[in-house]
Amino acid sequence: MGRLGKTIAVIGFGVLVAFGQAEAKNNIVIDGSTTVGPLAKSFAAYFTKKYNVAITVSESGSGNGAKSLINKTCDIASMSRSMKPQELVAAKSKGVNPVNNVAALDGLAIVVHPSNPVRSLTTAQIADIYKGKISNWRQVGGPNAPIVVIQRESNSGTQESFKELVVGKEVPVTKNAETQASNGAVKNRVSLTRGAIGFLGLGFTDASVKKIAVNGVMPNPVTVKNGTYPLSRPLFFVTNGQPTGSVKQFVELPKTAEGKRIITELGFVNKY
Amino acid sequence: MNLGTRKLLDQSFTALGIGSIVIMGMMLLVVLVPILTNGISANVFKGTIEHRRMQYNEFHRGDRDALQREISEAAATRKTAYDMMSTFEAELNQMDEVKQAEYRDKYNQVKDAVKSLLGPKPGDELPELTRFRYGQTRWEKAQERLREVLYEKKWDYSNPDIAAKEYLVSRAESFQGTSLVKLFPYVETNIDRMLLPKWTIYWGFIFDSSIDSHIFGGIWPEIQGTMFLAIGAMLFAFPLGVIAAIYFTEYAREGFFNSLLRSANSTLAGVPSIVFGLFGLAFFINTLKVSESKSVIAGSLTLAIMILPTIIRSAEEAILAVPKTYREASLGLGSTKWNTIVTVILPAALPGILTGGVISLGRAAGETAPIIFTAAVSVGSAIGLADVFNSPTPALSWNIYNLASEHEAASEIRHVQYGMVLALVTIVLLLNLTAIILRARISKKLKG
Repeated sequence: MGRLGKTIAVIGFGVLVAFGQAEAKNNIVIDGSTTVGPLAKSFAAYFTKKYNVAITVSESGSGNGAKSLINKTCDIASMSRSMKPQELVAAKSKGVNPVNNVAALDGLAIVVHPSNPVRSLTTAQIADIYKGKISNWRQVGGPNAPIVVIQRESNSGTQESFKELVVGKEVPVTKNAETQASNGAVKNRVSLTRGAIGFLGLGFTDASVKKIAVNGVMPNPVTVKNGTYPLSRPLFFVTNGQPTGSVKQFVELPKTAEGKRIITELGFVNKY
Repeated sequence: MNLGTRKLLDQSFTALGIGSIVIMGMMLLVVLVPILTNGISANVFKGTIEHRRMQYNEFHRGDRDALQREISEAAATRKTAYDMMSTFEAELNQMDEVKQAEYRDKYNQVKDAVKSLLGPKPGDELPELTRFRYGQTRWEKAQERLREVLYEKKWDYSNPDIAAKEYLVSRAESFQGTSLVKLFPYVETNIDRMLLPKWTIYWGFIFDSSIDSHIFGGIWPEIQGTMFLAIGAMLFAFPLGVIAAIYFTEYAREGFFNSLLRSANSTLAGVPSIVFGLFGLAFFINTLKVSESKSVIAGSLTLAIMILPTIIRSAEEAILAVPKTYREASLGLGSTKWNTIVTVILPAALPGILTGGVISLGRAAGETAPIIFTAAVSVGSAIGLADVFNSPTPALSWNIYNLASEHEAASEIRHVQYGMVLALVTIVLLLNLTAIILRARISKKLKG
């Protein structure tokens, strides 16, 4: 192999040995919602620092979180909806007993491009927009411009809760609706498209999009907590059975003072 | 065809060739220059005092005394601004209700903008999240924030029939007649004394773990995860691929079964990578249960299957390219078939086999889809070698996608995303370079 080959081999071995030092025995695997993602990641960072427990977080959607929990490939499924009946059946057949632990409350903010003069919509109007009955902003008191409807993918818990709260569970969304794969992608698309309307978790909204009042109520921590904002929902850390040990400590973070502060700082709403 | 036409055709072909090379070069520049400049800006940038404070607090880096001096220097300038704000707060409390309601909201915006620029006010309760504990660590971001302190972005909704236009309102004007009006010119002129920007080379971007989901810190867990996955894939795929290629070229008899195998191999090379990802989840994790959940080993196996066809093909071509005379000479001297393969054919084919291998290694490092369901997570710490059997890992390709689309503060940390892109491109480039050097050295040795 020559000197070069030997050098490479030695360096390679050295690097591998250097990596092989740390070893974490006790770890928590979290999979699921992109909406709960920021919360799960921040909790994970805080928890790792405090209790020295390694935590990995994947954001692949509530549906995938549920699947992972049912297949026992994660300890906590972070979900922005509760389990569907068919998921519960699947869980039961595999001997998994999903337990919902509320992580925080979240408002589903309806957002439009900041240039849109529309300030408020009723749930009926939003439903009609997503069913395709209303297709121009003029019909809801805005400028004469077509509405670009943006929805989430079928795997998304946010999509499920939106359909349940606004459109109706079994009612199909208009075929013209554009599908985006995450809260961030919806925000990005709406902030760049003048006629767009979309929905995302309250914690993800910023100045690049305009939040709209629903039935005359603006989404904010106060209206979400007291329930006057119509599109509120809990976010869950779903565990298999009653949590124990460090998983229990983790899902009870939202009840601690530090956990509450993290939730507030991220723009979510405390349940406890 | 007469000579004139031939010459003309020849020349026009040359021109076409040069033209396409120039276009290709330009495309490469268009792609590489932004990657390079933006990627380097993750390592080399104008860092503010907040960056140095963060480095000291989170990574214990930097000279404590010098930092203390700088902090008190900046704090002296900042104090004037904070004093102006408290004067205004007192004034605000004296106002009548109507005016108070008018100013309270606007003042809260100013307060938030200043907090985002300089970090929490001394004496305030420290936020739980690291991202809110510091002001702007990068000078160009600080200047963006400064504009938010000075101007308010508003939309003109006066005519509901047309889309509103955006306009900026100077905050100094909207606070005309109050004591706060002095704050804005003061902050604008003294911003560099409040933040003390300095050119900084931050190597930690490569060797640190990320803090508060990539808002601060570096990308080491991602780089390490990428290397683990790619090297792991190679450990499985390379020996298997070379053995398969030897079988195809030396042992297999031409026939229906053999050509079926070959075309199956070629088809496998054209299967979209996401299919391999789902296959990996269904087969390695759910059926074989190589690990309880996502893990490096499951990801490596999936990647190995993805690159296997390429390795087989290139190894096959390399073995076929070995001159027949080598084989005949070896067999003529009484060597066995196996001995010929090991001592004569494989060494001669090694440069070609290695090239194929290293190109596949680069592909394994850059693929996202196969690892989404089998190995990659958005955040996680750097893992040790013993953890590859049960721990998932962050990896460059997946985290670039994550930062581009899903991260809640994606637009704030574009530099991290570019830094990751540059790191990935560099890793692949280095691998290819190694292939070229190895190949050159081995060929030289074979000739000599």
